[in-house]
This record gives sequence, C-alpha cells and structure tokens, in this order.
Amino acid sequence: MAIDPSKIKRYSHGSRVPGWDEAADLSKDPSVVPDPATTYVPDHVREAIETLMAKYPDVRSAAIPAMFIVQREHGWLSPTAMEQAACVLRLTPAYMVSVASFYDMFELTPKGKHDVYVCTNISCSLLGADGVYARMKDEMEGDPDFNVRAFECLGACDIAPMASVDGVYVGPLTEDDCAQIKADIKEGREVLPDKQLAKRKAASKHWNR
Amino acid sequence: MPANIDTILFKDIDEPGLNTREVYERRGGYEMLRKALKMEPSAVLDEMLASGVRGRGGAGFAMGRKMSFIPKGTMDKYLVCNADESEPGTFKDRELMQKNPHLLIEGIIIGAYCIGASKSFIFIRGEYDYVADILDAAVAEARAAGYLGENILGSDHTIDLVVHRGAGAYICGEETALLDSLEGKRGNPRLKPPFPAVQGLYQGPTLINNVETLMNVPVILNMGGAEYAKIGTETSTGTKMISISGQIKYPGNYEIELGMKTRDILFDLGGGPLEGRTFKAWFPGGSSSPVMPLTEEVLEMPYDFDSIAKAGSMLGSGAIIVFDDSTSIVDVCYKTAHFYRHESCGKCSPCREGCNWTEKMLVRIKNGDATPMDLDIIESVCNQIMGNCLCVLGDAMAMPVSSMIKHFRPEFEAYIEAKREEAGFGVAIPQTNRGAHAGPGPLLQPAQAA
Amino acid sequence: MPRPVVKEITFTLDGREITAPEGMILVDAAGKYGDTEIPVFCYEPKLGQPVGACRMCLVEIEGIPKLQTGCSTPIRDGMVVHTQTQRVHDAQRAVVEFLLINHPLDCPVCDKGGECPLQDITYGWGPGTSRFIEPKRHFKKPLELSPLIAIDRERCILCYRCVRYSQEVAEDYQLVLQQRGAASYVSTFDGHPYVAPFSGNIIELCPVGALTSRAYRFRARPWDIEGAGTVCAGCTAQCNVELTVRDERVLRVLSRDHSEVDDGWLCDKGRFSYQAVHAEERITQPLVREGAELHPASWEKAIEAAAAALKKAGDRAAALAGGTTTNEEAFLLSGLLRDKLGSSHLATGVGGEQPLDVVRALADPKLQATVPDLEFAHTVLLVDCDPIDEAPVWDLRIRKGVRRHGTKLVVASARPTALDQNAAATLRFAPGGAEGFLVALDAALSGDAGNLGGAASAAGTNATAIQEFADALRAGGEEVVIVYGDRALRGSAGRALLNIASRLNLANVANAGLLELPSTPNGRGLREVGFAAGHGPGFSTISAPGHGAEAIASGLASGDLHTVWLHHVDPLRNYPNRPAWEKALGTAQTVIAVESQLTDTVREYADVVFPAEAYPEKEGTITHPDGRVQRLRQAIGHPRAASDVPGSGVRALWQVISDVARELGHSAGTAIAGAVVSKRVFEAVPFYNGMTLDGIGGRGLRWQEHATFEVEQSDPFVLAVPASLPAKGESELRLGTFRPLWAHKDVDLSPALQFIRAKQVVELSKADADARGIGEGDRVEIGNGTRIPGTARIRAAIPAGSVFVAEGIAEHNANVLTHGIVEVHRVGPGSTDATSIPIQSTPAVEGRAEMPPSAGLPIPPREVT
Ligand SMILES: Cc1cc2nc3c(=O)[nH]c(=O)nc-3n(C[C@H](O)[C@H](O)[C@H](O)COP(=O)(O)O)c2cc1C
Ligand code: SF4
Ligand code: FES
Repeated sequence: MAIDPSKIKRYSHGSRVPGWDEAADLSKDPSVVPDPATTYVPDHVREAIETLMAKYPDVRSAAIPAMFIVQREHGWLSPTAMEQAACVLRLTPAYMVSVASFYDMFELTPKGKHDVYVCTNISCSLLGADGVYARMKDEMEGDPDFNVRAFECLGACDIAPMASVDGVYVGPLTEDDCAQIKADIKEGREVLPDKQLAKRKAASKHWNR
Repeated sequence: MPANIDTILFKDIDEPGLNTREVYERRGGYEMLRKALKMEPSAVLDEMLASGVRGRGGAGFAMGRKMSFIPKGTMDKYLVCNADESEPGTFKDRELMQKNPHLLIEGIIIGAYCIGASKSFIFIRGEYDYVADILDAAVAEARAAGYLGENILGSDHTIDLVVHRGAGAYICGEETALLDSLEGKRGNPRLKPPFPAVQGLYQGPTLINNVETLMNVPVILNMGGAEYAKIGTETSTGTKMISISGQIKYPGNYEIELGMKTRDILFDLGGGPLEGRTFKAWFPGGSSSPVMPLTEEVLEMPYDFDSIAKAGSMLGSGAIIVFDDSTSIVDVCYKTAHFYRHESCGKCSPCREGCNWTEKMLVRIKNGDATPMDLDIIESVCNQIMGNCLCVLGDAMAMPVSSMIKHFRPEFEAYIEAKREEAGFGVAIPQTNRGAHAGPGPLLQPAQAA
Repeated sequence: MPRPVVKEITFTLDGREITAPEGMILVDAAGKYGDTEIPVFCYEPKLGQPVGACRMCLVEIEGIPKLQTGCSTPIRDGMVVHTQTQRVHDAQRAVVEFLLINHPLDCPVCDKGGECPLQDITYGWGPGTSRFIEPKRHFKKPLELSPLIAIDRERCILCYRCVRYSQEVAEDYQLVLQQRGAASYVSTFDGHPYVAPFSGNIIELCPVGALTSRAYRFRARPWDIEGAGTVCAGCTAQCNVELTVRDERVLRVLSRDHSEVDDGWLCDKGRFSYQAVHAEERITQPLVREGAELHPASWEKAIEAAAAALKKAGDRAAALAGGTTTNEEAFLLSGLLRDKLGSSHLATGVGGEQPLDVVRALADPKLQATVPDLEFAHTVLLVDCDPIDEAPVWDLRIRKGVRRHGTKLVVASARPTALDQNAAATLRFAPGGAEGFLVALDAALSGDAGNLGGAASAAGTNATAIQEFADALRAGGEEVVIVYGDRALRGSAGRALLNIASRLNLANVANAGLLELPSTPNGRGLREVGFAAGHGPGFSTISAPGHGAEAIASGLASGDLHTVWLHHVDPLRNYPNRPAWEKALGTAQTVIAVESQLTDTVREYADVVFPAEAYPEKEGTITHPDGRVQRLRQAIGHPRAASDVPGSGVRALWQVISDVARELGHSAGTAIAGAVVSKRVFEAVPFYNGMTLDGIGGRGLRWQEHATFEVEQSDPFVLAVPASLPAKGESELRLGTFRPLWAHKDVDLSPALQFIRAKQVVELSKADADARGIGEGDRVEIGNGTRIPGTARIRAAIPAGSVFVAEGIAEHNANVLTHGIVEVHRVGPGSTDATSIPIQSTPAVEGRAEMPPSAGLPIPPREVT
C-alpha cells in the first residue's frame, strides 16, 4: 500500500535535547570570563565560593560545589547564576554550562522548589516504581512547588520502590504515599517519618524473623 | 540466622551514636591510627599485601598491590575514596558511611599515611546529601581531635580530608572519570595508561579505593594481614558487604564471608522469593554483571570473586538483584540498556552510539515492531562494544544485555511475536527493505499494514 | 628547557620490521616510517595529549589482550603490531558503522564532500552497509555558530576536536560540549556566538562537514580549486598559508603547518581578510593628481610624474615603508633614494630610532630567540606588548609553553594583556613607562639600588614591585626569552634591554634571547636590507644618516624635505600624531603613495598613486622576526583595471620601482625579473649570502643557522634615570594606546569581518569610571582639547589612573590625541550599547563588495509537520 510521504512525521523526534536546534544569537557578544568590575555577585555567594576555592589545590575543583551554591541561590542554574559562579572562579560561563549539563542534579531550566526524585531503575521498577512515578507526577506535576523527576538508581534499593524528597530517602512506597508526601511538604512536616531510610536498622536487625 | 554475618564492618552497626567520635573511640576507634603512625609506612603496606584484600568497588584488584604502585618520593600524592556508589543495586557504602563514618576516616588516614599522601578526598555522590552531612560532621570532629590536619597526633605528617559531593552521574564512579569530576570538569574517563597510581588527580600519583575497601584497612591492621587472609577463600579473602534487592523477601545489606554459598545468601539471608513466586535469574554483582539464571547449579556456587568469574559473571560491587518468574526478561533488559544509554558519558563512539542503538532496538521490541533478527543485531552490537571502549561502561551494558539474550532467547522471541500480534503486524516477516529512510514506526502503521 | 632527545628503535608492523624514533605515537610512526595508514578522527597532536575517544585507530598489539588505540600508544622496541587482522578490521568497521548511525547521507550537498576524512575513512575502512533502521537524529541545519562559522549538528561525529581546540589551544573556553552521552552537542553559553581571535581554526580541524566557513560555503568543490602556498603578510607573525584558488580568485585561506612559525594555526584576520583582495574598492590602476583631483593615468604617465618629483627633490626625498613591503621592494627603493638621490630619510617603524650600535647589537645572532623558544624556554618575558594584537599566533605558542612545558610567563606592560591569566607574575607600569621600566629592571638585576628607585618611579611603579618582578624573572631558569615591541624602544630603552640580556647571560645560553615584535609585518627584513635611516644593507655603516619617521614628518612640514614615497604605509592611520602628519603631507610638494584603497592619505594628499599588490599577488621574500627569510609566491594574477586595457592594472611593485629608477637614469636600480632582485638582495646583505629562492623554498631559511655577523661586545652601558612622566591632575588620566588585532584596512574591506571591525573603546578602571559616573557601555569622550568619542569598557584589570584607547582603526583613531594626559567624560543621555567586542552592523565602506557579509544559508530550516 502506498504511503503518503507528506504524512510521515520525519523530524518530530529529532530534538529531544534543548539546544540542539539553536543557532547562536549573533546580536550577542562572545561570552568570555565575566569581568569582576561589571558583574554583580552577592557578597555571601562570593564568600561561599571563595571558601570552597581555598579547599582545593586547583580552584576549578570548586566549580561543581559552586554551582550547587548558585543553584540554591537562584532556584536553578540561570545564565545569571552561571555568570556569577564563573566570575568568582575566573572561568567562562561556557565552561560552567558544559560541566553543569553533564550532571543530573543541575537544572538548566527553571524548576519547582522541592525536588522529588523517584527511582525508576531496575530494583525499584521490579517492585512497582513505574506506577509510583506515574502517580507522583499526577499528584505534583504543574505545581510550582515541586520538581518531580524519574531518577536512575539512588542507592537505596533496600527500600524499593523509593524516592528522594529534598534529599530525604523514603520507601518502600505505595502509590498512595504520593499524596501523603505532597501534603507533608505543603504543610512543612517531616516527610513520611515511618518510611525514612535514615531511621532504619541494618537488614539483619530490621527484619524480625 | 546464619552464623557468619555482621562480624566485622557491620559489628555493632546499629549502636546508637556510632557515628560520633565519642562512641567510636569508646569502641577502640582510632587506636589503629596510633598504631600505624608508630609503624613504617612500608610495614603498613606489608600488612595490606598479606591480607590479600581485593577492591570492593567493582574491579576486585588487590588493594595492597595497587598501593605498592604508588611511586615513592616527595611529589604531591593523593588518596581518593570512591563513594560514588551509583551502580544499580548497590547501597552498601551508604549504610556504612551513614552509620560508621569514623571507620572510613580512620582507614583513609592510615591509607594516606601508607602511600605518603597529604591530601585526601571522599568523592560522594551528590544524591547522598544527608550522608555527606554526616561525613562532614565526622571530619570536623576528627580534625578537632587532631586526627586530621597538620602534624596529626603530634607526628610530622599532614593529612587533610575533603568531602566532595558529586552532582549525579554514574560514570563518575569510574576512577578516572571521578578524577576529572573532582577536578571540576565533565566526568569523562581518561585514557589509560597513565594509570592514576602514576598520574591521577592534578597529575599526581593517586590511590583510589572504594569505601568498603578503605574501611577494611583499620580492621586488617588490627587483626594482622595474615589473620585477615584466613577469612574467606584463598583468593577472595575477608568479608564482603552484599546488597540484596529486587524481588526477594528481605532486601538489605549483609556482611558475609566470601565463599558463602549462593543458596544460603538468597534463601537464608534474603529469605527466598516473594510469596507464591519462584526465582528466575539474578545479577550477581550489580547491573553490569552478566545475568545468570538461578539454576540449581548456580545456587550451589560459592559467592566469591573467582567462582563467579568462572561461572561467566562477576562479583562486581556485591550487589545482588534478583527477579522472579512474574517479570519479563525484556523489561529488565530494557531498563538495563536504558540506564547505560542515559549514563554513557559520550566520549567514545562505540559506547555512545552502541548503547543508544541498543536501547532503540529494545524500544522497538517493546512496541511490537521488531523481529527475532533484531536480537542478532543487538548481540552483534554488544559484541562490537565489548573490549573496544575507552572505559568499561560500554561493556557494562553489553555484558548483561547479551547475557540476557543468550540465556533467555526463547522468551525474547516469544515476546516479540506476542507484541507483533498485539500491534497488528502479524507473524514475523524477514526484515528486508524497510524503505529508504528508516522510521519503521510511521512506515508500518498498524492501520496501513492491515 | 631541554627538548627531548630521540633514540631509534625497531618494531614490527604487519610482519615488517620498522625503524622509528622511540616513543613516537604508533599512528604517526606507521604512517611516516611504515607506509601504513591507521585511520583516525579524534587524534590531532596539535591539540595536546591524545584522548582516544573515537576508537577508530584500534590495532592489535601482541601481548595485550584488548585492542589498543594506535593514537595513544607510543612505540617501544620490539613491539609487534597488527593492523590488518580480522579482529582489527571488525573493530574498525564497527566504529565506522557507529559513527555513521547518526550521520546524514548528505554528501552531495555537503561542503566537505571530496575533502572529508569521514568520507575517505568510510570508503577505506567502513562496512559498506548499515544495519541501523531507527530514525536518525535530525536538527535544523545549518545554524549560525558565529558570523563566520556555520554549524551542522547532524553531521557532527563528536570527535571533540573543536571543543578541545577552544579549551586547550585557544584557551578561550567558549566552545564547549553540552549534555552527555548520545545527547551531547557542541555549543556555546546561552546562545552567545563563538567569536574569538582564533575561532576559524575549528573549521580546518573538523573532520566532517559540521563546521564550515560561511564565507566559503558552496563557492567551490575540491576538484574546482588549486592550492597555492605562500606566507600571510597580515602581520609580523608571517604564518604559512595555503590559498585556495579558483579562477584567479582566492576563495579560502588554510594553514600550511610550519612548526617553527605558526604551529599550524591562523588567526581569523589572516583566515578571512583575503576577501579584501577582491574587493571592489581596490585601486587597480595608477592615479595622478591634476589640479585638485586624482585621475586614472597610464603607467607611463605615473612613472614619469613620480620620477620627475623625485628628481626635483633629490636628497630632500624621503620614503616610508611598511605593510607587505618585500625585501626586494625595500632594497630597490632604499637603493634608489640612497644611491641615486643621496637621501637616507628612510623609515619603517613607528617607534623611535635607536643608534646603530644598539640596532646591530639587538640583531646579534647569539641573542636571537626563535618562535619555538617561546614554547620551550624556562621563562618568557613580555615587555609592553600583547602578542594577541600584534602577532596573534605567538599568543597560542606562549600558552602552549605554559600549559604543556611549564614555561613561566612574566608580563610587564601598561595595558593588561590577554596572557595575564597565564602569567606567573605581572607588573603594571604607567602608559609610556616602558623605558623607565627597562632601566629599572636592569638596575634591579644588577643590584643598582640608586637607579632602581628613580627609574621605577619614572615608570610609574615602585622599586619593590620591580625587584619582585626581577626575582620572578630570574627564578625560572636560565633560558629566558624577552619579547618586546619596537615601539617600546625609545631613548635608552634599547641599551637597557641589551644590559638586561647580558645580565641574564642570554647570549651564551642556547634557546634564550630576544624576540622583537616589529610594528610592521616585514619590519625585520626592511631593516636588514638597508631600508633604514642609519645603516645600509646588512647594517653596514653609511656616510650620511637620514631622518627617522618623526623627523621626516617635521622635515616635510617645515619644507626641509620635499617629496615622500609612502610604500604600503598610511601614516594618517598607522603612525602616531596624525595632526603632525596631516601638516607634513599637506606641505609636501609631492606625495607618492603605493596603496590599495582610497584612504584619507590618498584621497587628500597623494599626487601619484601606484596601485598596491595584495600579498597573494606578490613574488619575493620577507623576513620573520626571528630571522627566517620566507618566500611570498604569487598565487593569482594581478587584477586588471576596469577598462581592461592590456598593460593597465596592477603591476609588480619591484617592477614599478625599477621603472622609476630607469626613468631617473639609475640603471643599477633596475631589474628585469623579480628573481634578479632577490639575488641582488642575497648578495648585498652579507648574512643572506648564499641564499637562493629555491633554497628558501616553502619552509624558509633562518639566516642565523648559516651565517653570523660580528657585533662588538661592550660592557654594560651606564644608564641615566629617564625623565619622569608628565604630572597629571586629579581629574586627569594617563593615556595609553593599543592596536587591536582587527585594526587593519583589509579587515575593513572584508565583508565577512564587518561585524568585528575595531571601533573605539575607552578602557578604564572601575574606580575611575565610578568617579565619573560612567557605566559599562556608556558613550564617552576622551581627550585634551581634541576629543574622540568611544564606548566605555570597564575592566577590573586596568589600574586606576590609566585609560586605554585603540589606534590604527578607521574612525576616531587615537592618533589624533597628542597629549599623554587626558580627561574622560560621559556624553549623551544614558548608555548606548553594552558591547564588549564592538559589533558593527553597517559596513564601513560604502557599496557592496562582491561577497555578501556571510553567505546566505541556502537550505531553509525544515518544518516539523
Ligand atoms: C562505569 C563504572 C562505574 C563505577 N562505579 C563505581 C562506584 O560507584 N563505586 C566504586 O567504588 N567503584 C566504582 N567503579 C570502580 C572504580 O573504577 C574503581 O575500580 C574502584 O573505585 C577502585 O576501588 P577498589 O579497588 O577499592 O574497588 C566503577 C567502575 C566503572 C567502570
Ligand atoms: S565507554 Fe562510555 S562511559 Fe566509557 S568513555 Fe566511552 S562513552 Fe564514556
Ligand atoms: S584517533 Fe585514536 S581514538 Fe580517535
């Protein structure tokens, strides 16, 4: 049977990655190391980054911790955030974005306030993580308070399926826990106190058998 | 409960306050550091060599030998503790660091003293934020007590320790990628040689070891290397932390003596399959290890480095993922490939393109738009990845994926046929001439095919 | 620094014994000594350590279980290598298949087609078919990466050459990889264009058609073109280039890798300003002024007019040479003036004239450092110059030394340099303080505390700073290379420099010495062939020395001199003190100009104009600052005049000078062929004796390697403390000038480079800006009496009290400012643009040159349906 080529969606799958289809904006200047004389950096940010720089034999090692600082400060790694970090570190903003985009924990687009990472890797999905993630998204997506992401193994398969809520590991989760997590965050409570990993005993003691 | 568990690293693991210096010292903590400082570094190294302890991070390389590769001399040397722990199924280091951080710190200081490093780092994955906080607090305590910093314990040795948080990338567990990441770059593995022991962090000789490996250092010093070597088997000495997860009754971390029988691990420690199910297969050492069906023979296999290697898989990080008959092998295979595609750093072509291609083929299988011949292509792609990449992440995808196809080919084929039925494509057709430009999905819409 | 010594070893390659230097990288050794090509993509030794990323070069080495990357394996004695086994073939085929998974099959419309490594390797080593039936990735293409470069991300095979280049060679860190794994792509920060002095090199590095030159796209196919090797005469670095020529037009400039000159890189000025060769604005026939106007004239008439004026002027004639003047032209012209007319008023540099003994001593072969020395020395000292602007590829060379060989860089300058970040020590003195600095440094090195303090304060700095700097200079090791600009050589600066060289014992240390940055591309050659006021060919003494540039200007203005020949020189643009030159040219009886375009000098003052040759049209030799005599070879014919009359149009300049000499009856100064002139030059300059054009060939010859000349050794000179700089008031600033890389008339005429033409910027410190209420990007005016407008650029590295403006630019040139002390004001309401590199949208030259500023991108982005 003949297929009408014009009906074939040829390119719609192409650009999964933001940036692939972007040309440079020729009205902009080249982006070089920001000059301290013309770049505003809040004092506490500068101090925090400079403290980090002193910890390493090579200041560049402070790039990743510094980006955590500016990400916290700005909510995400906005161009301004990266310029500020670059200015203190004496690196180019391009260096910063290159490093940042390599790592999963840096957000290059605006994100919700609270990070909810649902593990969907092998061990968790063997125990229903995909359902938990779908439910979590239903509950929270679109709410500017939340940043729900499916994550690769978070290193807590003993409580699979699990999630990391602002760095607090909770599990094993049922789909119904999602609403509770949302409510706990909204009301500023500790998240699922009974299911927190940090409070769990070693396996041989945990399982009362 | 089986006898030989929780004897060394996990002894008293749940003792309240073990993560504080006070409790740790009460249990004899930092005594081994004092002892080491009274010994020559080479004497400490001798103990490590005698213990035969092999790296617990994945490659299983003898720790003492690695230490002995570090050149002598006065150049800046570094010790880096690999606490990236991102291998799916692995979570032992997390529990160890959370509950007993001072043991790790003591191990690092002794290790640094042994190789003559004055600066050491713990590279901990960024997701373990709360564990990193605990480590930071412990490091501060250790520094306050004079175990870290200049002239530790009144000696003329300076050893500093920085807890460095990663930012989420599995590849940073690979030792050279870890070094790049620690230097503030993208976490791309480096070409070897030069090996880190010769040219590592900031170009200096660098010893990289896993958390568990380094925690064994004070233990070995305490027991004496020869004594330690009596635990376990001849070539796999000591105890090993294993992380059991997946479709099993009692998931969690257990400490076992190497050489324990697989059956005992899965049934006694792990409690056997979930109600009403039977075990199908397992990853014996993390998601990078080739999958093995859980046959009687495998259940009889001793759990140690060499026995598993002989059986065609690897002990890796000691992460056991078990799945049962309710799970489709295709789903596991897809999850595995998806993970490695996502985590490939992209530096070398076989891994970057091969993982991507493999995942795409598996998606097609799941969508009912594949034929059994695609399995051949997947196998061939995996073969071309294996051994040809810059680091072993590529192999880490190719090995489990091809092992699954090898052991479960009939299941794959049945799955493909069933999915084709479901999608309305009919029974498998030879995959020839799919049209000039690819795109099988749109070209063979079910409606059009009918 | 000791350079590696090589030992020969033998290894086995596919069953054959091969002898090669130990430690050579396998793919190189196999290619060079074993006649076996091992395919590579990511390997490029110029980019530093191999990365082993593409895995194309896998080979089998006996004794190692896994296949190894040939690009990272040094050969060892007895190694046994197989490149033709089934295993290797399988791996190579697999890699090609992997790389082609996402590579589009658009070779027929790809600019790289025919000269594409990926194409070649696919044919040679690929599997021939692909089993990949998934959709390929698709992006919009091509996209603009910068006004000069188009990027096609579909074609990219992620070999990382371009990003490694940006990070490890140019060190601008602007072009980076984003994301990871299969999603990785080459990009810049937040959509900023990749604009940097050396961005064009990535086009040549790209092994596929992902990065293409927007100026070259779709203008030729490899089988339409010819390559012609010559030397870029755009600046004093004299990079070796290969011109791509189609139908007598230069369409592209590529590097002709010469490790002793350019290391295989080109700056964007050299790479793209070839467009000026074919600009409509070029003067293509002689012009003669009749009444107030310049009219086209026949060659005979122009030559007669020039000869008549020179004859009348006699020893009151003067000549200035610069730009792309060859040794041959300079030899003939200086011979004409000196031998026939009796005038030695010959000037080349814009700096002050130094006495002959100093000039000779500075040219001492024992003191001569080479370009590779910049890379291997223990320490490199920059004295009041910034290579990025004056000899750009040296900037890369110095960076390479610092990065790869641990060379220590120390910088002493008034204006912050591009290399400051790499420097182990930097010292800032006041603009104009170079002489004081050199005297102070000499004092610090010799422990003369008396001079130190005085000279340091005359330089606008202090004794402690100089002493620390001197210590840093000494600390690195005995191999020191001092790079200085000829502009710095005023007053006793030359003697101070010689003192410093002798205190550091540079004459007796191999790989150490001095390296001058002349202010004009062939500055060294002009001087050596005798185009100088104070000496003849080969620094021979002459009976009646003439005037230098400043004295020529005042001589013309006062009427002492009558006629001036401007050979590739535009004093109104390129010499300091434009008002003085306006007066000089206005008073001169006759101004003879060799020029390629209607500059102010030509339009207002020239009486006879000879059309200038562009460097691709020239035949002759030029001399590199380190003494390498290099050959310019004609790549294209001379343009004809519009009228297309035979014999009209541009002529070779040696011929023009020879014709003028004949007209003047100076038969010794005539020649029948360019090669004859070259021969005469080689005979006249003692240390060029024995050279031949063939001997110079494509790689040049450093005369110091074959000849020497004796320099009287003297004890260190006793130096006086230079006069202190003029005092400045509270609200005033000290003026410094710099010549931006882009300040060049060829840039003005090259459509592709319009966006980067240098505009006036006023660089000042934060403190001074704040005190005047000036913000970044504000319009300001600077001057003292005469003022020029510019855009404020606030830089943290500028010391308070100094301000810097650009010279050599087309509009609002700093050379109209004649006072060293200036005021700066903000003008207009609010700021205009906040550009840090000025991007100019309207072409400076009215009318369209033939090529659009950048080729339109002919494939419209495809729609997603
Ligand atoms: C892709 C990849 C990921 C790895 N991840 C980890 C990890 O998360 N933790 C770890 O300790 N070792 C990891 N390794 C192993 C390390 O490269 C290295 O072998 C180990 O840190 C050495 O320590 P050991 O000798 O104590 O085992 C990984 C290796 C590869 C190739
Ligand atoms: S094998 Fe994968 S992860 Fe390792 S270097 Fe290659 S692309 Fe990166
Ligand atoms: S050329 Fe050797 S890996 Fe790319």
